[in-house]
Amino acid sequence: MFRWFDDRLGIAGWTRGGLRKVFPDHWSFLFGEVALFCLVVLVATGVFLTLFYVPDATLVTYEGSYLPLHGQRMSAAYESVLDLSFDVQAGLVMRQVHHWAALVFVAVIVVHQLRVFFTGAYRKPRELNWLIGIGLLVFALAMGITGYSLPDDLLSGTGLRIIYSAVISIPFIGPWAAFLLFGGEFPTEAIVSRLFVFHIMLLPALLLGAVGLHLAILWRQTHTQFAGEGAREDRIVGKAFWPSQVFKSTGLMLLTAAVLALMGGLIQINPVWTYGPFDPTRVSAPSQPDWYVGWLDGALRLFPPIEFTLVGVTIPSPFLPGVLLPGLAFGIMTLWPFLESWVTGDHREHHILERPRDAPVRTAIGVAALTVFVVLTLSAGNDVASLILRIPVEETTNLLRFAVVVLPVVFAVITYRICRELQRRELASLAGRPVAVRLERNEAGGFTPEDE
Amino acid sequence: MTPTRIVAAAFALSALASIGLIVVYVLGGQPQAEGILLATALGAMGGGIVLWAIRLLDAPTIAKDRPSLASSEEERAQTAGAAELEQITRRTLLVRMLLGAGAAITAALAIPVLSLGPQPGRELFRTPWRAGARLVTDDGLPLRPADLALGSVRTVFPEGAIGSADAVTLLIKVRPSELQLDGDRAGWAPEGCVGYSKICTHAGCPVGLYRAEDHVLLCPCHQSTFDVLRGAVPTFGPAARPLPQLPMEIDDEGYLVAAGDFPEPVGPSFWNLTHEGNREAGE
Amino acid sequence: MRRTLLAALGAVAVLLLVVLASLAPPARGDDASLEPGSVERGEVLYRAGCQTCHGPAGGGVDPWPAIANAGEASADFQLRTGRMPHAGEPDDQAQPKPPAYDEQSIRDLVAFVGSLGDGPAIPDPVIDESLLQRGQQLFAVNCAPCHGATGNGGAVGGGAIAWPLTDASPRIVAEAMLAGPGQMPVFALPDDDLSAVATYVQYLQEAPNPGGFAIGGIGPVPEGFVAWVVGAGLLIAIAWLIGRRWSKPEGDEPA
Repeated sequence: MFRWFDDRLGIAGWTRGGLRKVFPDHWSFLFGEVALFCLVVLVATGVFLTLFYVPDATLVTYEGSYLPLHGQRMSAAYESVLDLSFDVQAGLVMRQVHHWAALVFVAVIVVHQLRVFFTGAYRKPRELNWLIGIGLLVFALAMGITGYSLPDDLLSGTGLRIIYSAVISIPFIGPWAAFLLFGGEFPTEAIVSRLFVFHIMLLPALLLGAVGLHLAILWRQTHTQFAGEGAREDRIVGKAFWPSQVFKSTGLMLLTAAVLALMGGLIQINPVWTYGPFDPTRVSAPSQPDWYVGWLDGALRLFPPIEFTLVGVTIPSPFLPGVLLPGLAFGIMTLWPFLESWVTGDHREHHILERPRDAPVRTAIGVAALTVFVVLTLSAGNDVASLILRIPVEETTNLLRFAVVVLPVVFAVITYRICRELQRRELASLAGRPVAVRLERNEAGGFTPEDE
Repeated sequence: MTPTRIVAAAFALSALASIGLIVVYVLGGQPQAEGILLATALGAMGGGIVLWAIRLLDAPTIAKDRPSLASSEEERAQTAGAAELEQITRRTLLVRMLLGAGAAITAALAIPVLSLGPQPGRELFRTPWRAGARLVTDDGLPLRPADLALGSVRTVFPEGAIGSADAVTLLIKVRPSELQLDGDRAGWAPEGCVGYSKICTHAGCPVGLYRAEDHVLLCPCHQSTFDVLRGAVPTFGPAARPLPQLPMEIDDEGYLVAAGDFPEPVGPSFWNLTHEGNREAGE
Repeated sequence: MRRTLLAALGAVAVLLLVVLASLAPPARGDDASLEPGSVERGEVLYRAGCQTCHGPAGGGVDPWPAIANAGEASADFQLRTGRMPHAGEPDDQAQPKPPAYDEQSIRDLVAFVGSLGDGPAIPDPVIDESLLQRGQQLFAVNCAPCHGATGNGGAVGGGAIAWPLTDASPRIVAEAMLAGPGQMPVFALPDDDLSAVATYVQYLQEAPNPGGFAIGGIGPVPEGFVAWVVGAGLLIAIAWLIGRRWSKPEGDEPA
């Protein structure tokens, strides 16, 4: 069969090169793969769901098998999600696996991004893949938000309402942009079908396209690698793609799907039937977005009631935490590789990774940013924390307001100190020890020092 | 047990689980069983393959020189096509015309985006409340002050606009002596019945939580808190504007009616919400 | 960090259990040997246990509240759920606990408090499947904002808790709606609607979770924790197992 293809495509040389591609052996390099496999599960389950979901806000009378909502008026969209959950065989498992996969997908992307950041893997020549990675994160978040909103239940409708409020808060263009996005003043019937088009067409195209590019660039540029075992800036050490890496990755894909299937089967997620159909005049508490939007919801919760009018232009309270903050966060993340090389003046290529301690300033800044992110994310659950810990919501909120300002600084300083101390100890342990350098004869006839 | 046997057993387990999955489906399905069987089918196969790779595949560590990414200067010069480019760019007029036409065609292709939504107009400034509109529950029942128990809260709409997302109002009954409303507004709360927009002035969630002892309304989304006795001024959380108060009076038959629309725009703020001209334009 | 999350989730689970366990199941006295409440016996109990705070005629001794017009519904709710006698400061929210009085004493006290003024009588809601849909609607509008869509409770600010309804009997549900205890507003609905809400609350208590473990049934917060701890946690562990350095494979047979 290979002969049949090679006759037509001439792929033998290319394939041989590909199969022998060297993959460095480090477990932390697998996070990106896990994210990719979550995406595979998302696509597989998503296609199934798409075949049953009805992107229609027209009101219908529910006659399915969930009794408390029997005879109620609801959108055809919500009805179709109830049917998926109760009346389509295997529908509930598919829905739950899809939702768990979405939550885990973004989580693993974040872990992967943290690995890349704290090891300096984004440095030249890999800035492009960092940028595409940021794009992937944005697309994944947008997929999550649009997907969360599709069922048209009370909780997701409340989420949409907050998004509308954030958009309308933008000075000058806000009302106009919100009306374009939603098709008029909230709530609109148009939004359901628009979310659907975004969720199953535009965003998946962008997401899958960016994934392809991400992998193609990785393939072209080869992996980064930690120092040691013969790895050098100009030399990569590891296992061949075929067969070892192919086997391991296939196994990892199946195990990823297994974990998500187990969660989807055993742990109930987003029981939309309990929330009831969306009605803009109703609300239930606690009211939260999925975790990856929590940092923005948390920022909205913590932000002080600051709203002012300058020469007739009102800057609404949600604008800073709801629009400016994410803009700033993604702006800084996007520019980071260029900011770093501009500040350090380091424009060389780097294929050997740094350990976090090797770049204490970067590590400290990363820890500070991560702390802000975590505190804001936790803040989205301030009322749940209050319920469980029996602390008034006001106190929880004030505590978190304090934490989001103070903790990042404290943790950054501690991190910096730890990095410095680790460096110092390492140097001390090397002091006085004879350093052996192995020389290797190279092809040109000279000698090249080989790392230990 | 040898690795080969373990891997073989894993594959067998996977196959069994897959068959089980088919059986469960044919028998009518059960979500938990489906999840466990699917996970077993996938997990056993995945685990088997991984074990195969780790225990049975001899994969020596190999080293390779990294390819140089940057091309040589010579190659770059050849690729850039400098001569051809010069041939094009020297026709400055054509290049400029092409760019201009390109910008125009982009604008022309982008303009249909405006079809996606109407121009924001007065709707942000007005709700269906009109002078004389009765307050009705979602069942359509009009209310007299006596229909409300002290310390109770009802979600009400203007008669004829039940379910309206911007007119939705919370009607709360308190002791008239406890109310501390400013100026005109003191007259808007007949017999201790006070009405506020249910849409939060922060991010638009329904402010559905009423603490009757504290006389405060709380928004579940971001915990903005509003003092019902003092004109719903915000007392905690991110909301900066009070909930607009509905002017109310009692009609000839004793029912609660609106004396007009809310005095301010309801819901989340936007940049020109203080431009009263927009409001008047609609009358 | 995963350890912390795990610990946090554990704490969440334990605390949730504590919260749920602290809800005393209301004593239902249907024992035929018990007499109807007696105002006279109730007065004796009232003088001994209640009047210090609520005053001799229920007028309240500042800062404690007046209860003259609380009615039998309110008294029955407060005593049966153990909220009264109150433990703590006047501003503290009354905590549900095992009732301090036996069934007969509760009946007597309720009769006496009812005799003090003009308040709602004890309702008699019935569980009626045909009211389930109406109950869902009423619950969504009136109850879910504070008690949550699943009736699992919520924090409503000011240190107050909208208690979980996981153990509330139909009678307790209806009494609370009529009485508006503590921070809860009054929901003076007709009898049919009280029955409808009680029916839906009971449905929520008994409803199976078709999707599996409900993990608290309080929305995306526990879902996010589980996604990180179970989902991301397991997958990172699997990645570590696959990617770690393994000793050289020893084929158990010639390849």
